Amino acid sequence: MSKGGGIYVAGDSWVHRLDGAVKLILWLIWTVVVFMFLDLRLFAVMIAIGVALLWSARIPLRKMAFLFWFLIFFTFTNAIFILLITPTFGTTLTGTNTPLIPLGYNTINKETLFYVLTLSAKYITLLPLTLVFILTTHPSRFAASLNKVGVPYKIAYAVSIAFRYIPDLTQEFKHILNSLSARGLGITKEDGTIAQRMKNLTLVVVPLLQSSLHHIDAVSNAMDLRGFGAHPKRTWYMGMKMSSVDKTVLLFILLLLALAIYLKVSVLKGFWYPL
Amino acid sequence: MQPVISFQNYTFRYKSQSEPTLRNINLDIQSGEKIWIAGPSGSGKSTLAHCINGLIPFSYGGESSGILYVGGKEAAKLSIFELSRHVGTILQDQDAQFVGLSVGEDVAFQMENEQVPHSQMKQDVYASLTQVGMEEFESQGPQDLSGGQKQSVSLAGILSTEADILLFDEPLANLDPASGARAMKLIDHIHQSTGKTIIIIEHRVEDVLQQPIDRIIVMSEGEIVRDQTPDQLLAEGALSKYGLRQPLHLQAMKYAGITMGGMKGLSDPEGNVHPSIGEELNAWAAGIPFDPPHVEGERLLELDHLTFGYDKSRPVIKDVSLTLSRGETVALLGNNGAGKSTLSGLITGIYKPDRGEIRYRGESIASWSIRKRGAAIGYVMQNPNHMITQHLIRDEVSIGLRARGITGDEMTAKTDEALRTCGLYPYRNWPVSALSYGQKKRLSIASILVLKPEIMILDEPTAGQDYKHYKEFMDFIHQLAGQGMAFIFITHDMHLALEYASRAVVLSGGEIIAANHVANVLSNPVVTKKAHLREVSLSRFAKAQQLQAPERFVQAFVDYEKRGMQA
Amino acid sequence: MRQSIWKFNTRTVVTIGIGAALYGATSWIGIPLIADTQLRPAIALLAIFGALFGPVVAFLAGIIGHIISDFVQGGIVWWGWALGSGITAAFMGLIFLSKGFNPQEGQVSRKHLLLFTVYGLVGIVVSLTFSGLFDIYVMNEPNDKILAQVALASAANILVFLVLGLPAVWAFAKRNRENTNLSVDR
Ligand SMILES: Nc1ncnc2c1ncn2[C@@H]1O[C@H](COP(=O)(O)OP(=O)(O)OP(=O)(O)O)[C@@H](O)[C@H]1O
Ligand SMILES: Nc1ncnc2c1ncn2[C@@H]1O[C@H](COP(=O)(O)OP(=O)(O)OP(=O)(O)O)[C@@H](O)[C@H]1O
Ligand SMILES: [Mg+2]
Ligand SMILES: [Mg+2]
Repeated sequence: MSKGGGIYVAGDSWVHRLDGAVKLILWLIWTVVVFMFLDLRLFAVMIAIGVALLWSARIPLRKMAFLFWFLIFFTFTNAIFILLITPTFGTTLTGTNTPLIPLGYNTINKETLFYVLTLSAKYITLLPLTLVFILTTHPSRFAASLNKVGVPYKIAYAVSIAFRYIPDLTQEFKHILNSLSARGLGITKEDGTIAQRMKNLTLVVVPLLQSSLHHIDAVSNAMDLRGFGAHPKRTWYMGMKMSSVDKTVLLFILLLLALAIYLKVSVLKGFWYPL
Repeated sequence: MQPVISFQNYTFRYKSQSEPTLRNINLDIQSGEKIWIAGPSGSGKSTLAHCINGLIPFSYGGESSGILYVGGKEAAKLSIFELSRHVGTILQDQDAQFVGLSVGEDVAFQMENEQVPHSQMKQDVYASLTQVGMEEFESQGPQDLSGGQKQSVSLAGILSTEADILLFDEPLANLDPASGARAMKLIDHIHQSTGKTIIIIEHRVEDVLQQPIDRIIVMSEGEIVRDQTPDQLLAEGALSKYGLRQPLHLQAMKYAGITMGGMKGLSDPEGNVHPSIGEELNAWAAGIPFDPPHVEGERLLELDHLTFGYDKSRPVIKDVSLTLSRGETVALLGNNGAGKSTLSGLITGIYKPDRGEIRYRGESIASWSIRKRGAAIGYVMQNPNHMITQHLIRDEVSIGLRARGITGDEMTAKTDEALRTCGLYPYRNWPVSALSYGQKKRLSIASILVLKPEIMILDEPTAGQDYKHYKEFMDFIHQLAGQGMAFIFITHDMHLALEYASRAVVLSGGEIIAANHVANVLSNPVVTKKAHLREVSLSRFAKAQQLQAPERFVQAFVDYEKRGMQA
Repeated sequence: MRQSIWKFNTRTVVTIGIGAALYGATSWIGIPLIADTQLRPAIALLAIFGALFGPVVAFLAGIIGHIISDFVQGGIVWWGWALGSGITAAFMGLIFLSKGFNPQEGQVSRKHLLLFTVYGLVGIVVSLTFSGLFDIYVMNEPNDKILAQVALASAANILVFLVLGLPAVWAFAKRNRENTNLSVDR
């Protein structure tokens, strides 16, 4: 993670050069498409496309490794959890029941196992495009992109401010915690009983809130003094012009969306279970 | 000619206050003037500035009477947007001022709001950045910039606008001396080349006076008490009347009994060379007895070859060794970003050294927690907002005592004493939020001072403070040192170091490049250049006057003032 | 100064941004309960922002903060739960519309607190039910598992709201009552 708070990775691939707004639309539509299905074949194809896109963005693997493992960890615990709580859920989707692993109180069946596999694939399908979007779009371009796809500029700018102040607030949180510890009001084991430590933790909330309120005052003053909100529209220093590549990609996205709707309506209606 | 700013019988009261903060202000500022507003902390300088840029009444509510004209129009009838086209402001708080995610965006911010087309914006941003020498940083974020660099970006931001009045609220606070001088030069350059009206609010007297000023306005308790040219004001010695510090060379001339009435160019320590002055000064210095140097006590703290980096590949502290003994006061000097605050963080346990060891009374404290270290080593952070946790001022001071089991009358007595030392006793029942920045800083000092740790580290204790107040608590610290407490203070004020420190340690690029008597360190041009320090003005003055022993003269001045304090 | 909650001035924009930053920067802190469900103190911030700035600001701050924190931590955005954060915040912000409620000026009565508690509890349950339904119908998660998660998360959020959020708003109002008519006392 860079000091800028975002997790942008600088680069000069065609994906990097793509208009932020186009990537935003791509990511959103991709997400919607994933939401519509529960079909391993489709997810496999989408993961392949997503990985290809990621590869062509030439992002060093180690930048993604952390996020990747995090999601794997998540889907894994989620899967275990589903298998333990609802070991025969798959039956409600397929109508069949093929017992596989006895648990004592119940038995995990084949249908559920395959369902969990599909569900995990569904989560993993979301990852590559989210990564493409957040790793190749500079946070500065987020706001301009949001505004371009129709979000009012004032809300878009709020997003920009959030990115701007996350590192500052994180720093501040640490500073406050440290200065309290040094005065004997810390939150570690040696600072007293659990109750005492909890109370000390609430001591952090107050100054953090106070300083956020102070930031709100100071930043809105600074912005007012520089004419923010004077006009119904504003221009963006980090805004981009759409190139022909952008337009082509946009066209593709719309075609894919149409294809997805067609598939949903007439071919891949529900849970795909080949076994 | 019609003035660009005109206050007529103007009075203002914040809605939470029972007394007005500005009283009966009458002030005309002509187009193209360069004005310095001085005055003790809390005297209403920022409030006055807010009236000009429209934050009062737009953002801070209250009651006003009288009239204020800005650019020939009544300010009350203008919106803040209309005012913002006239008045460009650089606020006291640099982190709030920097709203963009990167340098380029921040400079472009006002143009974006004015819907300047993209291509023209790019051009203008580069042009402005080039003027302040920051074009290489166009895509950097605020986290990657030092305080001085952020300041330059703010300057570029108002360069690219059409505002004809520029308002600077403490532009130098937290800058090292060299960066401070550069900022003043830059402001002067803008003034010369654009003819804009410039208003500067600043505590650092000598730094402001490095460049020509047309008029000085002195405020005290909400009123304008002086409105004069620098020469008139300085010759009269009026600054010290209002709790500010007279430039040191003028103070020295006063001590030596030299009359200044009618002299020109008083603000420049190297101007006004006159053989008769030199003789009088020599005679005066010779008459001051020499104070015996400090005797070393028992060792309290030892830093042994410390190395540390926020990321391991780029050390910020490199192989630093240092000892601190009982009763010693060490000034930690160095340019912005040298690693001073980081070193303090290592001592107090906020960061862990990659290599090296810290010993307290001979025992390694590597395994000590922040809390345990805190009992022996008090740390006043650079930003007071990071330390203040309580709502009421007296609670803030007493909370540390309570955590250590001190309650009742003993707690009250100790709290009151610390509040008095830091000049906050009259406000003891106020909420912290009603204090000015300088007052908050003193509050954070009081909250550590009250705990009487054996060692105390103060990170820029005097930033944003006026002379009267900081002298009070620095003198108290000096007394405590006499009783055996040890102090490290970080400062950009060279004279403060000279007055109060028995030793100076200079950090540059994470390494100690000098450690010696303060006067000695400051007279070494290699060190001062590398660490962006500056020879004290008094020494430059002594050399310009060709005094027999400049160092002796500076020492005499310090000793003379110390004796005055004890008397 | 009280104005329409739909009016977006600079202060509104900054409040949303900083609120989102604060929520985003602190929402990773938590005590894990069961798979991917945590006790998160950050919920208290939603209550505070709701009470101080109203439902619209709180909704946007909650949603934006949640999405950003998802970006930075996990890679993918949990839309159901992000919207849930926003809905919780919006419900808690309803108290802002009550007559006479103004913590900035210290005006909070016991009746307000009661109402705030109701809004908060309803908000938490409604929003988590929403998040659960979203996961069931959009993500195709199994009902029983989601039920367990929703029940636990509700309990956790209610606990945080009652123990941290509510007292914080009360304390904030109380301290602001003391902020007027300051005078120097030598
Ligand atoms: N927002 C506010 N609400 C109430 N009182 C305020 C507010 N801002 C300032 N004051 C009061 O007005 C007085 C003057 O404050 P101001 O900030 O103008 O001082 P200053 O001269 O700029 O001080 P400094 O040099 O410390 O910045 C202070 O005593 C402070 O208590
Ligand atoms: N939390 C952090 N993470 C990464 N780098 C940091 C951090 N804090 C400081 N730095 C870097 O470490 C270096 C030393 O910073 P430090 O704050 O110690 O300087 P300083 O001497 O106190 O400067 P100043 O006079 O401006 O306060 C700088 O280059 C700074 O950018
Ligand atoms: Mg001020
Ligand atoms: Mg520092």
